[in-house]
Amino acid sequence: MFEFLIAGVQAPWILLVFTGFTVGIVGGFIGVGGGYMVTPALIVFGFPGYMASGIDMTHIAGKGIVSTVRHRQLGNVDWILALSMVAGTMFGVEEGIRLLGYFKHLGLSTVALLGASVLLMGTLFVYTLRETLRSHRRLTEMVREGKTLAREVSTSSLPRVFQGLPLAPLVRCRVARVIVSMWVIVLVGVITGVLAGFLGVGGGFIRVPALVYIVGASTHIAVGTDLVEIVFSGAYGCLRHSIEGNVDFVAVLFMLCGAMFGAQFGSIATAFVRGPAIRYMLAFSLALATLGAGLPLVNLLMGGKLAWLTAISVIITLGQMVFLCLFILSLVYFAYRANRGRWVPEWAVPLLVHNVTTGG
Amino acid sequence: MHTKFRWRALIKFLFWAVATIVVGAYAINTYTSGQLVRWYYFESRADGYAVNTKGFEQATREQPVYLTIGAFSDVRGLRAARVTKGSRLPEGTNGVVDLATVDEGTRVRLDRGQLVVSVPWQIKEAKGFKFRDGFTHKNIRTNPYAGLWNLIMVGLVGLCLGFLAEGFTDLVGLKFQKIDHSVGH
Repeated sequence: MFEFLIAGVQAPWILLVFTGFTVGIVGGFIGVGGGYMVTPALIVFGFPGYMASGIDMTHIAGKGIVSTVRHRQLGNVDWILALSMVAGTMFGVEEGIRLLGYFKHLGLSTVALLGASVLLMGTLFVYTLRETLRSHRRLTEMVREGKTLAREVSTSSLPRVFQGLPLAPLVRCRVARVIVSMWVIVLVGVITGVLAGFLGVGGGFIRVPALVYIVGASTHIAVGTDLVEIVFSGAYGCLRHSIEGNVDFVAVLFMLCGAMFGAQFGSIATAFVRGPAIRYMLAFSLALATLGAGLPLVNLLMGGKLAWLTAISVIITLGQMVFLCLFILSLVYFAYRANRGRWVPEWAVPLLVHNVTTGG
Repeated sequence: MHTKFRWRALIKFLFWAVATIVVGAYAINTYTSGQLVRWYYFESRADGYAVNTKGFEQATREQPVYLTIGAFSDVRGLRAARVTKGSRLPEGTNGVVDLATVDEGTRVRLDRGQLVVSVPWQIKEAKGFKFRDGFTHKNIRTNPYAGLWNLIMVGLVGLCLGFLAEGFTDLVGLKFQKIDHSVGH
């Protein structure tokens, strides 16, 4: 146990390191901050709710930098795309917070928040999963036909629609290999920012699918670029929370120690998989997050008579961190086996990249 | 691995290792010296009584805790210091009981020049979890520069840890090549 002088609580420091590590793996792999998983965990460790949010947001900023450094080395960051989105994201976050305040004023904040979460994440989950299953099938066919597999396969026709919008100025994103209207990028930033501010999350699990299905970036670039956004939105959140007195810096430091290793592993793991594997993870995390928000909503609409639903949602929220980590670890393990010519499950073969190049 | 590359990786790793140690040591020293705590509990956000909540965590309605009111420069123990909005907080303060709460009298009341605490905390809920919400952190204003310090330090720690890890993997021969996104896209 460690006594946190500012938070005024005694909490197990090793669990903070472990939480940072596990969320770091997931965050580095699918490009999310993981706020929706960390805040409840910190409350369980004894931190008050407002401190949990502040520590979480501050650690996300630091972890975002750690992950971005690695994704930059892997060539997964499109700086033009990221910086074009920043202003829109910031504006959106602020408007999202105001929108939440409006619903709070009406006394509908919890219902509105949970309802919006379920609707949005549920829709994203269904679309992402369907599209990823189609991509997986196409990759499997290519394996059977003995074709060379691409790093990315996407079957969505949405990006072509948005890239075809003739609204000046057009932006050429060299790394992402897309030419798209600046307005589309800004709009993605604003919309995902509003949702992030409204739902009180970093917005990665909304922004990554938006970058893939609206802008047309590959999943790897969407992850790397989103992490740059998370650095900016996390930094803004860190400043706001710090001024409000919601941050114990040493708690953040413990989490960052774990996140350093986790984020490295998660980021490097993306080099061993194809785009659809990352999108599967994204779909699973969306499904679990939808359940996590949906069960308390049902309880709320039933007049609080089904409190056990909220308890189940808490277990799901904390359990998904472990589940997602194990899934990522299994993918890396299968990639390692495949690279050595050993047996791997048939479904995993098209999702893995062989012969990841390293060396001087 | 080329000798030239190995030297570059070693220099990179050592540079960021030193930077990480310096930044980490400075951050921890700022925390343990009490500087960060002083910045955090900086000013009062309301008129009331500066207290250290550790002294009355066990208070109940049946067995309330009595705090001596005075112009103390340190409020650790069973002490309370009268503060006004915007005034600097005494040493050891971790919360301010505002006058409205005292006037209401259900949790804290005045009795013959002493502050009597009978309900030190309440159960609140966040994200489906219940937690004990007491007078700790209440009605205090953090030094805005501490917010900026947090931001700068988080940025520095993130950069140092990120490049330290990159230096380490370069050093052990795991220099990952950029992914070729042009293939099949």
